[in-house]
Amino acid sequence: MVPPHFHGRGGRKMKKNKGMIVAFSLPLTLALIIMYLYPVARTVLMSFFKIESVTSSMSAWSFYGVGNYAKIFGSPTFQGSMKNMGLIWLVGGIITLFFALLFAVVLTSGVRFKKFFRAAIYLPNVISAVALATMWVQYVYSNDYGMLNKVLEFFGLEGVKWLSSDNKFWAMLFAYMFGAVGYYMLIFISGIERIPADLYEAATIDGANKIQQFFKITLPLLKGIIKTNITFYSVHTTAFFLWTKMFSPVNTEASTIVPVVYLYDTVFGSQGNSGRDAGAGAAVGVVLTAIIILVYFVMNRVLKDDDLEF
Amino acid sequence: MKKKLISLLVTTAMAVTLFAGCGAKEETPAQDPAPAEEEAPAQEETPAEAETPAEEETPAEDTEASSDEGTANYDGVTLTMWSMWANTEPQGKVLQEAADAFSAQTGATINIEWKGRDVKTIIATALEANENVDIFEEDYQRIASTYSEYCLDVTEMAEAAGYGDIGFQCFVDQQKEWSGAFNSIAEQPQVGGIFYNKDIFDAAGVTTLPATWDEFLTACQAMVDAGFEPMALDDAYADFALAYHLSRHVGQEALGELSVNGGWGENEQIIKGAQELIDFVNAGYLESGAPGAYPESQNKIGLTEKVAMIVCANYVCAEVNNNTGSEINWGLMNYPAVEGGADSSNAYAGANSLAISKNCANPQAAFDFIMFLTTGEFDQKMADGASQIPADSRNTAPAIMDGTVETLLATKAPLKWNMGLTDNSDLGPQFKDVAIKLFEGGFASGEEFAAAMDALY
Repeated sequence: MVPPHFHGRGGRKMKKNKGMIVAFSLPLTLALIIMYLYPVARTVLMSFFKIESVTSSMSAWSFYGVGNYAKIFGSPTFQGSMKNMGLIWLVGGIITLFFALLFAVVLTSGVRFKKFFRAAIYLPNVISAVALATMWVQYVYSNDYGMLNKVLEFFGLEGVKWLSSDNKFWAMLFAYMFGAVGYYMLIFISGIERIPADLYEAATIDGANKIQQFFKITLPLLKGIIKTNITFYSVHTTAFFLWTKMFSPVNTEASTIVPVVYLYDTVFGSQGNSGRDAGAGAAVGVVLTAIIILVYFVMNRVLKDDDLEF
Repeated sequence: MKKKLISLLVTTAMAVTLFAGCGAKEETPAQDPAPAEEEAPAQEETPAEAETPAEEETPAEDTEASSDEGTANYDGVTLTMWSMWANTEPQGKVLQEAADAFSAQTGATINIEWKGRDVKTIIATALEANENVDIFEEDYQRIASTYSEYCLDVTEMAEAAGYGDIGFQCFVDQQKEWSGAFNSIAEQPQVGGIFYNKDIFDAAGVTTLPATWDEFLTACQAMVDAGFEPMALDDAYADFALAYHLSRHVGQEALGELSVNGGWGENEQIIKGAQELIDFVNAGYLESGAPGAYPESQNKIGLTEKVAMIVCANYVCAEVNNNTGSEINWGLMNYPAVEGGADSSNAYAGANSLAISKNCANPQAAFDFIMFLTTGEFDQKMADGASQIPADSRNTAPAIMDGTVETLLATKAPLKWNMGLTDNSDLGPQFKDVAIKLFEGGFASGEEFAAAMDALY
């Protein structure tokens, strides 16, 4: 028989612990709910109403059903922006993640100056994107004295108008990818370094070459990391804003527009047109979120990695 | 121990940066709070300035010209102003000077918050939330169309101050047309048209400014023959240039209707106008890199000094001179008239204006400060310091803005930005791309252009 005071002490300890747990997690939970959950919930709600200004009180809202969604999906500008975003995601994603993986594999295979290359490839992420974009637009792509055209001239070829309306989107995407590779490369590097070296040793002893090792060992064991990177890349793609604004300053152009820029122009009005529609903006936000959730769930199905153990 | 020290330093650094991030707010040094003496509502006096029209008014009298009657006493009054500039820009510096002088004279305290151009995204929500804003600076078109219900109508105060003889009437009339009320006082007027390098015109032998499109083409040819490139064009202003030309053909209202409803292919004047521009491009009158990536093409005016003109608003002059460190001798030419066109002489005119919010505790003080800033001495300082058009029509425009005051005084029906082309809020970006394509030579005929426009609907 256990002495009663022993029980009592144990019981009091448990209650105290619970109280402490609640007290410590309360500030963060409150902050999360107020600054994250509440705006999300309100935005979803707003997307079903016709509202002019973001801060209109709820009495000024008028129920609109799925009218906002109909409006944005019927808008050629929004459709164009979704197409641009799709290209950034698919084409940009494949190329960026391919190079990120390539660099990661190269840098973890024991080359010299690994730290230097790692820092150099990651450097664009440290520099402000505004400064980067300005350099690309005003210097690298410049018609008269730009770097690319000077290189072409050196080889006797004619300069190209990199920022003409046909080329602008791809120029922007290339500039974006150039800077983005480093971010995903670092994540891949950390993923590869987690794979125990003895697996590779055993494979080498058994006669597998580097390429076989890559496809049979590295790639399968990186499934989780690949999922992470695809999710991150998708999130960054939906939030693609700054590069569009830098390549199309002053006013939005259809060649470079992306959904967030469309949202921005719709909610705040653009130069020469002061019409505002916060309801439509909210609908755009909800659509983008839904896309991310969809991508995440599809990926979780396709890239199953719970059977991996290493 | 070392770990503890490092983590403490890092935490401190984090906390400090948190506070540093809390927005920049500049305050003019507060005046000693003398016991608050409110002005009797019947007495209205503006602070004594040699050139400002200080006027005394009792409700029964008509306004008469200047007489200095001493300064108004606004001790204890605080005004909060949201400015669209940064305090390091020339406009911001003059604004700060004016605020200090006004404080010294009247005892009012003026808090200026330097919001930068972003003010346009945050002012609407601030006004709706009844935030403490007394005066704000914004585009007068947005004040009239978006914020009008939150702003005071200043008709009476303006009449008392004799504003009709001071400011540009076109802005007053235009905003009344848009919102029915007189809400804002122009602070930085803008005018648009073709800005040209006077020296190149002289060198090419263009002695009289072309008034019609044909004369304009002749002048361009003269410039090309003399070894110059007539026109610069940036992608950012491609739709502005296109809209200006089309509005000469069909007028602003019709252009707005076409923008919203379509039907470009059915309008002969549109096809004719587009064809004229296509011919202009094909004749080689655009500078070699145009349309450039803003501000590449406009900078060439200053860098090479071989490019003569640009279709833009007046701020382009100071922009080019500053960006390229050159001293271009600028002049302003009204956009030429076209044959059979609906509008032959209106110019784009806009303004950054000052408005008083309805929550302002002391509107008269706010209005007096606005008058202090936009008339007389400080307005001249603003015009000279920032190379822009004076808001007081009796002041002199700086040499770089030669001709602008006269153009504004003569403007009866100012054109708005993009002259109605972007009335269709949804297709604006698409129109811009079509405009850029036109100037790149992507269309063979006016019909092709019209078809491309119609395909967007």
